[in-house]
Amino acid sequence: MYKLLRSSLMSAGLVVILTLSAPGQAAPRQPGELAWAIHYDPKTFDPAKVDEQESEFVRYLTGGVLLRINRQTQQLEPHLAESYQVSPQGTLIVFKLRSGLRFSDGTALTSGDVAWSLRRVLAPATQAVVAEEFLLPAEVTVDTPDALTVRVHLPKRIIGIGKIFDEIAIEPANRPSEGRVTSGPFTVTDYKRGQYVRLSRNPNYWRRDSSGAQLPYASGVRLDILNNREQEISLFLRGEYDLIDRLSPDYFSIVAQKSPQSVRDLGPSLNTEQLWFNEFPGAPLPEYEKAWFQNQSFRVAVSEAIHRSDLARIAYDGHATPAYSFISIANQLWYNHDLKYPHESTADANRMLAASGFHRSGNQLYDASGHPVKFSILTNSGNPARQKMAAMIQQDLAALGMQVTIVALDFPALIERLLHKQDYEACLLGLSDVEPDPSSEMNIWMSSSPNHQWNPSQKTPATPWEAEIDKEMQIQASSSLQHDRKVAVDRVQQIVADQQPFIYLLYPSALQAISPQLKGVQPAILSPGPFWNIEFIRRQGGAR
Amino acid sequence: MSLPMRIVTRVGRTLLLMLFVAAGTILLVRFAPGYFADSREMDAKYAEAARSEIQAENSQQQSLSLIAIREVKGWIKGDFGESRQYHVPVAELIGARIRVSALLLAEGILYGWLIAICAALPVSSLRKGGLLFGLPFTILLAIPAAAMATACILAETGGPVLVLSLLISARDFKFLRSLLEGEWRSPHLLQGRAQGLSPLALVRMHILPSVVPQLRALATLSIVTALGALVPIEVIFTVPGVGQLAWSAVMNRDLPVLVAVSLLMASVVGFAGLLSTRTLTLEEA
Amino acid sequence: MRTRIAAGILLALILGAGLVLWLMPYDYAFQDRDAIMAPATAQHWSGTDELGRDRTVRVSAALLIGLAGASAAAAITTMIAAGFGLVAAFSRPAIAAILMFLSDVFLSLPWLFLLMMARSLLPLTASPMQTAVTTFLVLAALGWPACARAIYRGAAALRSAEWMIQGYACGLKTRQLIRLHLVPHLRPLLLPQFIICVPAFIVAEANLGALGLGVGEPMPSWGAMMLELDNSALLARSHWVYLPIALLIVVLLLLESFTTEAETNV
Repeated sequence: MYKLLRSSLMSAGLVVILTLSAPGQAAPRQPGELAWAIHYDPKTFDPAKVDEQESEFVRYLTGGVLLRINRQTQQLEPHLAESYQVSPQGTLIVFKLRSGLRFSDGTALTSGDVAWSLRRVLAPATQAVVAEEFLLPAEVTVDTPDALTVRVHLPKRIIGIGKIFDEIAIEPANRPSEGRVTSGPFTVTDYKRGQYVRLSRNPNYWRRDSSGAQLPYASGVRLDILNNREQEISLFLRGEYDLIDRLSPDYFSIVAQKSPQSVRDLGPSLNTEQLWFNEFPGAPLPEYEKAWFQNQSFRVAVSEAIHRSDLARIAYDGHATPAYSFISIANQLWYNHDLKYPHESTADANRMLAASGFHRSGNQLYDASGHPVKFSILTNSGNPARQKMAAMIQQDLAALGMQVTIVALDFPALIERLLHKQDYEACLLGLSDVEPDPSSEMNIWMSSSPNHQWNPSQKTPATPWEAEIDKEMQIQASSSLQHDRKVAVDRVQQIVADQQPFIYLLYPSALQAISPQLKGVQPAILSPGPFWNIEFIRRQGGAR
Repeated sequence: MSLPMRIVTRVGRTLLLMLFVAAGTILLVRFAPGYFADSREMDAKYAEAARSEIQAENSQQQSLSLIAIREVKGWIKGDFGESRQYHVPVAELIGARIRVSALLLAEGILYGWLIAICAALPVSSLRKGGLLFGLPFTILLAIPAAAMATACILAETGGPVLVLSLLISARDFKFLRSLLEGEWRSPHLLQGRAQGLSPLALVRMHILPSVVPQLRALATLSIVTALGALVPIEVIFTVPGVGQLAWSAVMNRDLPVLVAVSLLMASVVGFAGLLSTRTLTLEEA
Repeated sequence: MRTRIAAGILLALILGAGLVLWLMPYDYAFQDRDAIMAPATAQHWSGTDELGRDRTVRVSAALLIGLAGASAAAAITTMIAAGFGLVAAFSRPAIAAILMFLSDVFLSLPWLFLLMMARSLLPLTASPMQTAVTTFLVLAALGWPACARAIYRGAAALRSAEWMIQGYACGLKTRQLIRLHLVPHLRPLLLPQFIICVPAFIVAEANLGALGLGVGEPMPSWGAMMLELDNSALLARSHWVYLPIALLIVVLLLLESFTTEAETNV
């Protein structure tokens, strides 16, 4: 029997041996290399074909651009272009390149390469997303009077044209290399799908620091492909990762506890969380439900019943700010400081519903025709903060007698219901990577747009207020006067606050974790967040 | 049946299995919600580009027969078609990952079995206290794989092999203990014990030979359990194996990858079935 | 004796959970927003969860829903596996081969997509109970193939056992032999299968929440509570997150003591 019992000890011993293996270590770090995680494989390394976030990060780190937006000041700064001028009519931009520019392989970078890169982006065959920002890309022309001058001819003025060039990487003419030959701070040197992307310093990068030392300071960047938050945090706390972009609120306190100097709460971001109702007339919903959702009083009552401060405190652990507009309060240039919006008050909400023909019987609210007010809120699975918000909204609306069911779907199924079939009642989602300029949201606010979520692709505006929003958004997109634009955007914000097509809930805070070993970091709210000034970032004592 | 005939039958069965599985996968994936959806449609910046891509794809992907033809062309070419999410040949995606997953599976099943057998043998022979000694495995059954993985990560020790082996050992232990307890109670074993045969001798000469058919059947079950556990474990530990690829393919409705993964699964299941079939064939002979 | 004690404890757990739900002043959905992740107090015996909901009440409700759903689903799937395996074992070789082929096809297909379709067929306003029942039924319908083959092999091996032949010789019909003699011999396969399925289905139900199935809010899900164990942030804030898994272990031990007793009585 002892021999048999010994075998049970063997069993335990095997477990111990297996336990000694490591759960997952990051690949060994090269000297001077920075490292952090991205959540998915970049779909492409071709900077002209970037159409999702992880590829955008790689383009940011490798692509040399004519102009770069300083993510802290939001001002345009010359990069490959030493200077630029926009004609008074706004239809001609002239760039003067710096002299002596080289690609990472040592070949000269001239106006020919810039023209080729621009034309490639504008070409319909490339299907570059950034081409749409030129409004009429087919009518844009580029010429090069000399090796250092590039002239871009636009068919019409484009507000904020400069920022578009922040997204166009300059590549060697006729030699697209998918990030292997670049004019930016790094080049792609290794990629293992599902594991990592490795970038190395561009030895011919144009930029130098104030003492004349060549940039970037770091010898390279390793982007590990990792979609497990627990592992990411564990590796960060062990010092194997240098930063965490988009730290989630429930992990903020854990990291803060273990490494207080690492965490950054930069305050409200430009992102928003919002709830909206399906107002599409052709939606496969009963007519009485459509009547509720198209009723302004119904929407305003729902907005008044939701306790936004609780959502911020509980669902986001205090790392969010109540929201009432699509422009974040962090966007000081565009936020309407005189905005009048429905305030939190369940009593007012009840009164508003009663005035609109709804009545209560026990715990159930009924409409004027006697239908119980029951509807579902659709949201995406895998977002714990949003699911907590949904459960809290469910309770808040129960106080009005509304019975709400929460349905969390995976993204493809959600998008099919939302955008293809319009088969939903209410939806809770967020808008992320929002840009400061309201022009970037034209395709949400224009009633004819497929992204005009509550009632998309309208042939003519369904309501007078949507017609007014269309008009004001056109004004802000075409006027060159900041004051006129601001007035128009303020008016749109007020209409949205009055009509509540989107019931804005929160502005989540920008949460980041940055290793105390890093020097030169200037965290910003705008993407790419902590590493927007990557050339100046290095690990302590481990630069060149 | 002669050996060549048996081989032909087995190969034919596996090919038929793969055909049915491919057809079933195409049907299930094509008609599941979200096949023509792209998460970029929700991003105001990329929505237009995503929509044009979907429209272009729509014309080719609407018809089942077109999809099936494209799949067959991919199999004949040997690249299994092009991945919808990565736009590279599926064979290239899977080829790099098969070895990783195969190793993980092999280690997980081997260690899982060793742990389960080493524990089940003595515990099943006990007259009392079996429930108590089996408690660690009951606890393992209760703990979700994700929780085990988090525990490994927090403790900075253990890994995917440990979690997979523990999951398999917990299940196998239950079956093995049940099986072996029955054997220990059989009259000829009781007589053997009474006559002073050592427990090890009883196990070697009487118990193991009589439970071999059930062990083979359990081996099949283990392989299937391990296959099922592979996806969550590879996803949680970010192991670059077939399971991780399969999960990404599910989330992105990547039909060519899913067909290829299902075919792989079918061939492994077919092989697992072969293990238990062989014994029965010998017995019948 | 052991069975009676185990049954008594299980019944006490179930009755206790029922009493908690009946007597406690708040229901499982009530959010005490001033007591988020609160420790155990006289008001909240095992503290509150992330939304300020009483943990004792929620765990009690989850126990009743999860135990009923997972046990029923586990029983159904085991019976389907047994039926399938036995039919195959006692059929002609060609039919057995077809049935095993079908079970292999069933095992290899990505049924996750069928679950997505199931969700899309349910109305969006389906109640949490309706989605929970649908989920457990679908799990029961999909969980059988892995075990069916093992049961087929086991039954096929026992088909030619001496006592089976003697039974035939005594005039017993196949159905009688299966019911009275064969199934008890298959208990070493059937009962562990049932035990293993219970926690597997509890967790699977929570994982299916990602597809819109499972037990919907605000109804508490035992599986979702168990999945909290993979969140280190929660583990650091409260030890009461271990309560659901502790209860599950107790329930599994109790179920196991029934099954081992049943095997001993063969």
